[in-house]
Amino acid sequence: MSYGKKDEDADTGLIKIDRTQVFQEARLFNTSPINPRRCRVLLTKIALLLYTGEKFPSTEATTLFFGISKLFQNKDAGLRQMVHLVIKELASSAEDIIMVTSTIMKDTGGSTDAIYRPNAIRALCRIIDATTVQSIERVLKTAIVDKNPTVSSAALVSSYHLLPIAREVVKRWQSETQEAAASTKSSGGFSLGFSSSSANVPVNNSTMTQYHAIGLLYQMRMHDRMALVKMVQQFGAAGAMKNPAAIVMLVRLAAQLAEEDSQLRRPMMTLLDGWLRHKSEMVNFEAAKAICDMRDVTDAEVTQAVHVLQLFLTSPRAVTKFAALRILHNFASFKPSAVSVCNPDIELLISNSNRSIATFAITTLLKTGNEASVDRLMKQISGFMNEITDEFKITIVEACRTLCLKFPNKQASMLQFLSGVLRDDGGYEFKRAVVESMFDLIKFVPESKEEALAHLCEFIEDCEFTKLAVRILHLLGVEGPQTSQPTKYIRYIYNRVVLENAIVRAAAVTALAKFGVGQKDPEVKRSVEVLLRRCLDDVDDEVRDRAALNLSLMQEEDELATKFVKNDTMFSLPYFEHQLVMYVTSDDKSAFDEAFDISKIPVVTREQADAEDRTKKLTATTPSLKPPKAGPTKAAPSAADAAASASAAAQKYAQELMQIPEMKEFGAVLKSSPVVELTEAETEYVVSVVKHIFKEHIVLQYEIKNTLPDTVLENVSVAVTPSDEDELEELFFVGAPRLDTDVPGKIYVAFQKVNGEGALPTTTFSNTLKFTSKEIDPTTGEPEESGYEDEYEVSEFDLGGSDYVVPAFAGNFAHIWEQVGAQGEEAEETLQLSGMKSIADATEQLAKALSLQPLEGTDVPVNQTTHTLKLLGKTVNGGRVVANVRMAYSSKTGVTTKITVRSEEEGVAALVIGSVA
Amino acid sequence: MAGLFKRVYDWLLRTFWATEMDVTMIGLQNAGKTSLLRVLSGGEFAIDSIPTVGFNMKRLQRGHVTLKCWDLGGQPRFRPMWERYCRNVNAIVFIVDIADVSLLSVAREELHSLMSQPTLEGIPLLVLGNKSDLPNKLTVDELIDAMDLKNVAHREVSCYGISAKEETNLEAVLQWLMKFANR
Ligand SMILES: Nc1nc2c(ncn2[C@@H]2O[C@H](COP(=O)(O)OP(=O)(O)O)[C@@H](O)[C@H]2O)c(=O)[nH]1
Ligand SMILES: [Mg+2]
Repeated sequence: MSYGKKDEDADTGLIKIDRTQVFQEARLFNTSPINPRRCRVLLTKIALLLYTGEKFPSTEATTLFFGISKLFQNKDAGLRQMVHLVIKELASSAEDIIMVTSTIMKDTGGSTDAIYRPNAIRALCRIIDATTVQSIERVLKTAIVDKNPTVSSAALVSSYHLLPIAREVVKRWQSETQEAAASTKSSGGFSLGFSSSSANVPVNNSTMTQYHAIGLLYQMRMHDRMALVKMVQQFGAAGAMKNPAAIVMLVRLAAQLAEEDSQLRRPMMTLLDGWLRHKSEMVNFEAAKAICDMRDVTDAEVTQAVHVLQLFLTSPRAVTKFAALRILHNFASFKPSAVSVCNPDIELLISNSNRSIATFAITTLLKTGNEASVDRLMKQISGFMNEITDEFKITIVEACRTLCLKFPNKQASMLQFLSGVLRDDGGYEFKRAVVESMFDLIKFVPESKEEALAHLCEFIEDCEFTKLAVRILHLLGVEGPQTSQPTKYIRYIYNRVVLENAIVRAAAVTALAKFGVGQKDPEVKRSVEVLLRRCLDDVDDEVRDRAALNLSLMQEEDELATKFVKNDTMFSLPYFEHQLVMYVTSDDKSAFDEAFDISKIPVVTREQADAEDRTKKLTATTPSLKPPKAGPTKAAPSAADAAASASAAAQKYAQELMQIPEMKEFGAVLKSSPVVELTEAETEYVVSVVKHIFKEHIVLQYEIKNTLPDTVLENVSVAVTPSDEDELEELFFVGAPRLDTDVPGKIYVAFQKVNGEGALPTTTFSNTLKFTSKEIDPTTGEPEESGYEDEYEVSEFDLGGSDYVVPAFAGNFAHIWEQVGAQGEEAEETLQLSGMKSIADATEQLAKALSLQPLEGTDVPVNQTTHTLKLLGKTVNGGRVVANVRMAYSSKTGVTTKITVRSEEEGVAALVIGSVA
Repeated sequence: MAGLFKRVYDWLLRTFWATEMDVTMIGLQNAGKTSLLRVLSGGEFAIDSIPTVGFNMKRLQRGHVTLKCWDLGGQPRFRPMWERYCRNVNAIVFIVDIADVSLLSVAREELHSLMSQPTLEGIPLLVLGNKSDLPNKLTVDELIDAMDLKNVAHREVSCYGISAKEETNLEAVLQWLMKFANR
């Protein structure tokens, strides 16, 4: 065995291998007869260069490759192996690599256990192109069912890599793959890896082949649900699979199937439950995670999984404890009650020496504890806080913050905790986390406002971080004037003017001014004025300037001054930021000819911005601790992801729309709808649409994907007919000149609102794709001269009330409900939602369908049988829309709801209800 | 003991007199290159042969000479690569299907354009008319005319009729090739 053999060439400088020198040496390949040992050394050097990121230019790679092809079919098996290894790496950079196909193919076959067979198979799939895949079909099919697992694995993995270029061909190898998955072959003995003296494949007793086979089978059957079900059931049966990784894959698949089809939920759950008792921990964890992640999982369904995880909590191995705790931590966000049985075990972990475990333990307990235990925990943590690093303190503070937003009535003890830790020692990041949590309390939990402000006032008395002091002063300026005792804050703020550095002083002056501008109480106004006057003598320019500006504003009309100092609308910050970044990073010099145009940035009200912010914060647990999603499941994204992706999508749309000259004059997009699918995902042409609302226009943006292989569509357009042509008039469309296979293209159709700005037209659109279809000539790769005209009808879709509404946030629902009710109109509807499986489901779907923001935490139903959802939004014209949705659930009839909508604008209430009725 | 002696003798022979020579076999697709090589190396003739993707290499052992035969794919996409594989070889073998007259002109053009490459100057050429077992085939003289071999300059040129299927005249081919073993 060459196992312990010293590499004689090691000290010729493995580190100092030079590409050009190696290239010179490559003449060696052309000498005859071949010296296998020297060639192997040289190939090893080339491989080393390639593996360490060196790239040979195309000409050099090609020359090397031709040189290497002289070495083929050498009797030295080790050399053959190296040849395949290097060819595989050169495949992407050398030209004419296809030449070696036949030769490599020879090394893949045969009944021998030659060591180079797996290497040859792997090289083969790298050099092959789509047109020649068929010629290696037989070779691969045979290799997949080879009795040697190493060969079989190589063939399976290679097939996987061929999928992107030859899915249809690979799909024909199903029965071979099935056979490979089912076979429990393993040659026994030990694997000693690479060996040069023996020319045989090292003995391989792993069952990894099963994993590879299952992975490939999944790819082949991805679009056939029944076949997938069969696969899970067949291979999921006890004992059918030996390889734990393969079973993990089945676990994920089972979870995905249960998610997609409610009929399958019960059988898949049974399987998952069985896997909880599998002898491999890896499988147990995956199954437990899958069950916990299951949509609307019931307490009964999850009991066993939680129990298994609970047992792992007492494992002696830290990694096991950690894995179990992490799943419980994540699950506790949705179903704290189900996790609380583990509390005694979790509490033991609070002081675990492994900090990751300790932190997860605490944050989990914060979620699972009842009201009483929250207080107790907070106390426990307060003692614990001094012993951990800032990083973990931040994690805990973040958990508290989420808790406050979710259970506003816990605010008192949270606030106490936060103000306590605010006094502790700690770095900037930690203090910032605490201060921001308090900001959120003030913003979203009105009851806590005054007390939180008081704590912050106290904090700035002795705050070493200028940045934080400035932010707090700003907040005091915004919130202070509306409190019951504004004068209290003036004193704190003025103290800063006397005692701080220039930056803080300037911020304090601005904050102070907010108490004076628009102040109705002449006494207060006068004292602010006195204080500001004193600032006119400050040594710093900025401080003086601000004082002077604000003094003169205080002399102005209240209305003007207020608009200037306390503006309640703001630029849409994410969009603003994006546009600025685009501007300053522009490659095109002419972009700088004009100044950045801020008027193009949409303005949103503070309520709208808050609504987005709250959703994001509520659903985002601390990013550092967010567990990765299980498996390939595309589970419903969290609300935070959805919000983030929605604003990202809005930016993308706006940017794309701006590229179209005719649409420039439409102004800013007021609202873009979510994507509406107009076809099934597996049709020949996959079509979806997004509705963009402008002030006076509506733009329909179609995205079309042609999935027919070897076909192009030319001159693609959509014929759109609104059911009601009185309200919308088609202006123009922007078609797609050419759609290649699987390359999505966009088509825009623009309409004018016939009744002008304020109108909110509703209609149903019917759509037909029109295009010329041409086949690709396989020899030239170009489309044929002539094609035929064709049409393709896709589903209708509605333009409705919710398309004109954007979610908005406010702290107090009842107040707005009465306000809007007093001036606006009301519409009411009772609906039977038999398709909804739970209150939670209905809550989520309705808020989405109405496009309104849930208020007062009503997005998290507490009761499973009845619930009231409170919603707020604004139309694109600015009028408020409020909705009160009462729901009741019974297993027989599903969810029954009574929706009442009130709107400030005429006709809107009925319109909005219309989008769900 | 005699067996051991023979093994030692063989080893000496291989080590000190062993010669390797490179031979490239080209021609349009379906001419019978792969079949010929298979038969030459002792394999069975096969009716259904899959087209060669790229090239295919086999070693033939004749005494102390190893012939490394490169059988190149004949499809149009591989033809530009012929030249590269003909450089520095000891001999080029060009195979023509003499039972398919329709392809002769294409074969002639490909051959002449290859022979005009400066890199291949002086390399001996053997043109083989294959499939002599079939009816309606060309004779050797007709083939010489059809391929215009008189106008192939600067090298030794020969032309034989063979059949890979019936294994006719194959010994002559090997004899001819062996002449160039030590150059
Ligand atoms: N009748 C006959 N058929 C042959 C002969 N040699 C080759 N073939 C057939 O010709 C076809 C092409 O052979 P192949 O070796 O693949 O040609 P290549 O493309 O030049 O490699 C196959 O169907 C062979 O069976 C021959 O001497 N006589
Ligand atoms: Mg061939």
